[in-house]
Amino acid sequence: MKLRYPLSLTTRLALLFALTAASLLIAVGVLLGRAVEAHFAELDDHELRGKLALIENLLQRADLPSARDMLPQRLDDAFVGHDGIAVFLRDKEGVVSYAIHPSSFLAGVLAGDELPSGIAKWEKDGHHYAGREQSLRMQGADGTTTYIRAVVGLDITHHATFLDAARLRLWLAISLAAVMAALLGWWVAHAGLAPLRRVSEIARGLSAERLSQRLTEAKAPVEVRELVDAFNGMLSRLEAAFQRLSDFSADIAHELRTPISNLMTQTAVSLSRTRTADEYREVLTSNLEEYQRIARMVADMLFLAKADNGRLPGPHELVALADEARALAEFYEALAEEHDVNVVVRGAATVHGDRLMLRRAISNLLSNALRHSRPGSTIEIDVADDGPQVMLRIQNHGDTIPADQLSRIFERFHRASAERHHHGEGAGLGLAITRTIIETHGGTVDVESADGVTAFRIHLPRLIHGQTSTE
Amino acid sequence: MKILIVEDEPKTGDYLQQGLGEAGFVVDLARDGLDGLHMALNGEYDLIVLDVMLPSLDGWGVLRTVRRSGRETPVLFLTARDQVEDRVRGLELGADDYLVKPFAFSELLARVRTLLRRGKAKEPEVFRVGDLELDLLRRRVTRAGIKIDLTAKEFSLLELLLRRQGEVLPRSLIASQVWDMNFDSDTNVIEVAVRRLRAKVDEPFEPKLIRTVRGMGYVLEVPEAQ
Repeated sequence: MKLRYPLSLTTRLALLFALTAASLLIAVGVLLGRAVEAHFAELDDHELRGKLALIENLLQRADLPSARDMLPQRLDDAFVGHDGIAVFLRDKEGVVSYAIHPSSFLAGVLAGDELPSGIAKWEKDGHHYAGREQSLRMQGADGTTTYIRAVVGLDITHHATFLDAARLRLWLAISLAAVMAALLGWWVAHAGLAPLRRVSEIARGLSAERLSQRLTEAKAPVEVRELVDAFNGMLSRLEAAFQRLSDFSADIAHELRTPISNLMTQTAVSLSRTRTADEYREVLTSNLEEYQRIARMVADMLFLAKADNGRLPGPHELVALADEARALAEFYEALAEEHDVNVVVRGAATVHGDRLMLRRAISNLLSNALRHSRPGSTIEIDVADDGPQVMLRIQNHGDTIPADQLSRIFERFHRASAERHHHGEGAGLGLAITRTIIETHGGTVDVESADGVTAFRIHLPRLIHGQTSTE
Repeated sequence: MKILIVEDEPKTGDYLQQGLGEAGFVVDLARDGLDGLHMALNGEYDLIVLDVMLPSLDGWGVLRTVRRSGRETPVLFLTARDQVEDRVRGLELGADDYLVKPFAFSELLARVRTLLRRGKAKEPEVFRVGDLELDLLRRRVTRAGIKIDLTAKEFSLLELLLRRQGEVLPRSLIASQVWDMNFDSDTNVIEVAVRRLRAKVDEPFEPKLIRTVRGMGYVLEVPEAQ
């Protein structure tokens, strides 16, 4: 039968406790029983041997015929009154010379059968018996030797009764102990799992607004602490991601508010009195520019959202990075000359990727480098094939980016400086887009800036595994 | 030139009709897919501008039926859904171009003209506007008989402006056609490039042929006499 729900941990542990305890107790019980039984058997044997020794002694003293006649009397003296002892003696031919309580013996034995060697056990009329048969030598005074076979039986019913009672009590005790073990086990497990319940309690209380909460189980057992650590790690990651998202939403709202507010003010002011056609045209044109900024920003945000949902085209063609860099250098050539900046491209390497995406990623870096280059300086683009990895570095000379800005430079809407507000790029999404594209390609992008030299580095896997060139 | 617009969003439809009408086209407007399909099958259009999301029958349905009827009318898709699979699907079904909302009207106009020009008579080898002359075969540009030295890209830019003379070319179209930059790139680049071209082609001469249309792009034409 299959359980519909898996057993609770507490129930499992309680059952395991009970099972373990019961098995141990049963083993101990069985051993104990055997030991008592063996002890009784030893006692019985000892007594039987004692009786046989006594008989032998009497037989030996009956060497004279007169003494021989006294033998039954002496045996009676020895055994009458001991209800539990049965004796009979017979000679080789089976003639019984003496018997006391012979009804204790099985009919076969009385008829002449020998008892099995060693200690024999049997049951008759509801009584348990142990017995021994031994051949004894009787020395006559005349020097003749006769052999008498002596059979001694011992009523051991009281031992059997005691053992049965003891066994019953033992089983009862074992059953009770198992039940107790189960109950104790349940209690122990319940108490032992308390830290887990506290963890779930806290987890239950978590919500998006309270993601900053952490589980504190410093005193928790090691096993639970691992769980707590893992859980807290997950919480941190969730909180960071959630924070990024809500920052992003807030930034979007903020970034949209500025142009929309401009549009509203400008339009309202223009409508406040009659103006010439040229003035209206000027307002509409200005509005158009503002709309275009908004549209571009929305397109960029959609691009990032698509990347977040993993819906960007993956690597599917071979892209010669240096060729792309050269095409971009050519595209930016006029602008670079205006800034009195030179762009050089060195090296070569091929990666698997999406050409348009990679071009866009590099374009953002180059455009960024161009904006921050000192006039008269050179932007160096180096492409290198480093075995499994391909590296592209764009280095420009200009202001050093402060260290605290470096780590945040790839974040959405981040701007290295506030004054870069109304630059052609619009919102600060360019570098975020670059990072997103590179990460989509399984690569990384980083930046270092020192002594007026800033270098962005892209690392890309040369070939995505499982992909073969289809171009 | 007759254009059919199938667009259910009232404002968009109206403005597209007005804009294309004022650009010199004869424009019909359908407000839903079935109407659009009916008009496409019964009218003679040179181009269909088709929204993807439409009531009663979506743009793909319209396109499929139009193509099955054997009509090769060029189709320009408009959509708010910028998804690669959408793009691929539209092009597989036989769409000729694809524009994602929101788009600049100048961009739409440029693409409409490109589609309408497709498959037309062979382009001339020498372009002329006023006293400006561009010889494609000899890669030579002269103005008022004076030879002007241009870089390769400046030549391509001027060629584009001449081919599409009288049309306002948006910066994104120029970036795409001349530099193959098919994404929102730094538009300052185009500004600078056009300025440098002007310095060579326009500055020493009169009248000025290259004009900036603010917020829209650039146009090359002989200015109307004041």
